[in-house]
Amino acid sequence: MSILVVGLNHKSAPVEIREKLAFNNNSVSSALSLFTQKYPSSEAVILSTCNRVEMYASSASDAVKLEDILSFLAEFHKIGENEFSQYMYHYKDDRAVTHLFHVSSSIDSMVIGESQILSQVKEAYTLACVEESTGKILNQLFQQALNLSKTIHTNTSIGQGKVSISSVAVEFAEKIFQDFTGKMVLVVGAGEMCELLLKHLYEEGARTIIVANRTFERAQAIADAFQGQAIKYELLGEYLSKADIIITSTSAPHYVIHTDQVKEAIKHRRGNPIFLIDIAVPRDIEPGVGNIDNVYLYNIDDLQTVVNQNIDDRTREIEKCREIIEKEVEHFMARLEQIKIEPAITLLRNNFHSIGKDELNRLRPKLKNINDEDWNQVVYTMERTLNKLLHHPAKVAKQEARNGGGYRYVETIKKLFGIFHYHPEDSNK
Amino acid sequence: MFTLSHIPFLISIVLYLVASVWSIGHIVKPDIFNKKVARWSTIMGFLIHSGYLVFLGINSNSIPITNVYESFVSLLWCVLFVFINIDYLYKLPSLDTFLMPLVAVLSIWALTFDKSDMLITVSLQKFWLVAHIIPIFIGYAAFTISFSLSVMYLTQQRQLKLKLFGRLFSKLPSLEGIDKLIWKTISFGFPLLTLGLVFGTFWVKTQNILGEMWYLDSKVILGLATWLIYAALLHMRLVASFHGTKIALLTIAGFCFVLFTFIGTFFIGSKHAFQKVSNTTPHIEIMGANKQHYSQ
Repeated sequence: MSILVVGLNHKSAPVEIREKLAFNNNSVSSALSLFTQKYPSSEAVILSTCNRVEMYASSASDAVKLEDILSFLAEFHKIGENEFSQYMYHYKDDRAVTHLFHVSSSIDSMVIGESQILSQVKEAYTLACVEESTGKILNQLFQQALNLSKTIHTNTSIGQGKVSISSVAVEFAEKIFQDFTGKMVLVVGAGEMCELLLKHLYEEGARTIIVANRTFERAQAIADAFQGQAIKYELLGEYLSKADIIITSTSAPHYVIHTDQVKEAIKHRRGNPIFLIDIAVPRDIEPGVGNIDNVYLYNIDDLQTVVNQNIDDRTREIEKCREIIEKEVEHFMARLEQIKIEPAITLLRNNFHSIGKDELNRLRPKLKNINDEDWNQVVYTMERTLNKLLHHPAKVAKQEARNGGGYRYVETIKKLFGIFHYHPEDSNK
Repeated sequence: MFTLSHIPFLISIVLYLVASVWSIGHIVKPDIFNKKVARWSTIMGFLIHSGYLVFLGINSNSIPITNVYESFVSLLWCVLFVFINIDYLYKLPSLDTFLMPLVAVLSIWALTFDKSDMLITVSLQKFWLVAHIIPIFIGYAAFTISFSLSVMYLTQQRQLKLKLFGRLFSKLPSLEGIDKLIWKTISFGFPLLTLGLVFGTFWVKTQNILGEMWYLDSKVILGLATWLIYAALLHMRLVASFHGTKIALLTIAGFCFVLFTFIGTFFIGSKHAFQKVSNTTPHIEIMGANKQHYSQ
C-alpha cells in the first residue's frame, strides 16, 4: 500500500508545459473515471491550478507506478511523454504526504501564505469524492491536509500581511477610513495597476468613482467598468477637495498634483483626511503634499517596502510550518500503518468467528433438549469469548503498527493463524 | 499604611495593571500576551471595584463620595463602567491599551488621597447633590475615554504619517472609526456635564453652600472652563463639521481641564464643599460617618 504524487509546478516547469497538462473540472472528472477504470484497486486525486498540476494516487502493493501515471497523463492529454517528463517531480509515501501538506499549507505556493490553494485542494478532493476515486487512504490524507492547513494558518503568521501592492494600498485606506461607502475615489490616469487597485476598492464597497485621464475615452471605459463617472482631465482640480481617496498613475513626466492645490483642497475638507496613492513612475504627486496635516501620501516604493516586509515575515514563518508539518506527517504515517493492519485484523476476526460458528453448528444437534433461550446464551458466550481473545492482540498489533512496520505484523498474524488469502487491496475501498 | 479595608481596591489596581501590561503586550508579542487575560482582568477588577464601592457606601451610609479618596474611587468606577459598555457596543480594537494604563495610574494616585483630611461638609442624602455629582462623574468618565481615544488617534496618525507599518499600526483601528467614537463619547458626556453643572448651580444658590461669592470658587470657574472647551468642541463638530487632529488635540486639552477641575483644584486651595477636619467649626455639619472614617 503506497502513496504516490507526480506533478509539476511553477518552479519545475514553464507555463507552456503546465498549460499542456492542465485540467479543468470536466476533464478532471473524466480523467479520474478513466484512471480508476484502468487501475480498479487504486485511489486518485487530481489537483490542477494555474501554478501546478499534480496527480495523487494510492494503490496496494505498488499496483500503480510512476511510469503508469506518466503514460496515463500523456495518453489523456494526447502529448508525448518525453515532452513533459523532464519537468515532473514525484514523491512516494512520507515524502508524498509531506509534499501535499506543504502544498495545502501554501508554503509551496508562488505567493507564500496565500489562502486560495486551500480551496483549490478542497475542490480537487471534492471532485475526486464525487467521482468515487478516493478510498480509505486518500480520504484520510486529504482530510488531514485540509485540517492541517487551517491549523497552520491559525497558529502561524504565514498568511498575515498583504503581499500585493494593491492589497497593501487598500489596507492603508482601511486604516484611514472605517468603510468606503460614500467615499469618493478619484482616479487620475488609466494604468493597469490603477484598475487593479480600483477593483480592490470596489470590492470593499467604494461606489463613487471618478476617473480623469488625458484620453477621455479610456477614462470612460474604466469608469463604465466600475459604475463610475469619467471627467475631463482639466476638471481635476475641482474634484481634489471632494475626493477622499486619490489614485494617480499617469505617464506624465512632471507632477500633476501640487502641494498648493492640496493645501487649498484640505481647507475645504474641515479636517477630513485625504488618502493619496501615487503609483506612477515618475511620480505624479509633489512629495511636499505628504507634509500637509490630515493628508496621507504613499508612493509605489512605500507600498513595495511593505509588500517586501510582509513577504519576508511570511518566509520567516516557513520553518515553523515545516516543523508542524513534520509532526503531522509522522502522525499520518503511523495512522497509515494502522490502516494497513486493519484488514488483517478483520480477516483474523472473521476467521475466528467462522471457526466458532462451525463448532456451534457441530454442537447444536448434540443438544437436542436445549431451549432457544439457553442456546442463545451459548452462542452469545462463544462470541464474547472470541471477542475477548482477539481484543488484546488486535489492540497491541494496532499500537505496534503505529511505530512502523505494519506489514511485519500483518505477516506475523497471517503466519500465526494460517491466513493465506489476505489481500490488502480487498479492503482498500 | 494600608488597612484591611483597602485590600479589595488594591486587588483591583493589580488587575488593572495586569490588564495594562497584557493589552500593551498583546500588540508587541501577541503570541505571549493573550488578549483574553487583559479583558478578564479588567472585568474582574471592575467587579471587585464595584464591591468595594458598595462596602464604602454601607460604611458611610451614603453614596461613596464623602472624601476626596472616595470621590476618586467612584469616578474611576464610572470610567470603567462607561468603558465596558462602549467596548461591548462598539468593539473598537485596542481601546483598552490606551485606557487601562491611565486607569491603573489614576487608581494608584487615588490611593494617595486616602489620608487626605478633606471631608465633605454637606449631607449626601440631598437630592441636588446627587443630581450634581452623578451626571458630572459619568460625563467625566466619557471624557476620560474620549481622551484615550484622542491619544489613540494621534498615535495612529503618527504611524500613517511616518510610515511606521509595524504591529501597532496593524492593531489600531481606522482614524475615521476613532474619530467617530471620540465624537460619540463627547456628545454623550457633554449633556451630562451640563446637567450636573445646572443642578450644582441651582443647589449652591438655594442652599448657600459655597457662600455669597460661590462663583469665585476655583472649581466652579474651572468647571465652567471645562464646559466651554467641550462646548467649543461640539460647536466645531456640529456647526463647522470639523474632524481629525484639531478635534483630538482639543479633546486632550479638555481632559486636562477635567483632571485639574476634579483634583487639581484641591492643590490650589479650593474647598468646594470639602473641608479640612482640623478647621471644622461647630456650625458646619459633618456627617457622623465621615468622622468615623477619619478616626480610622
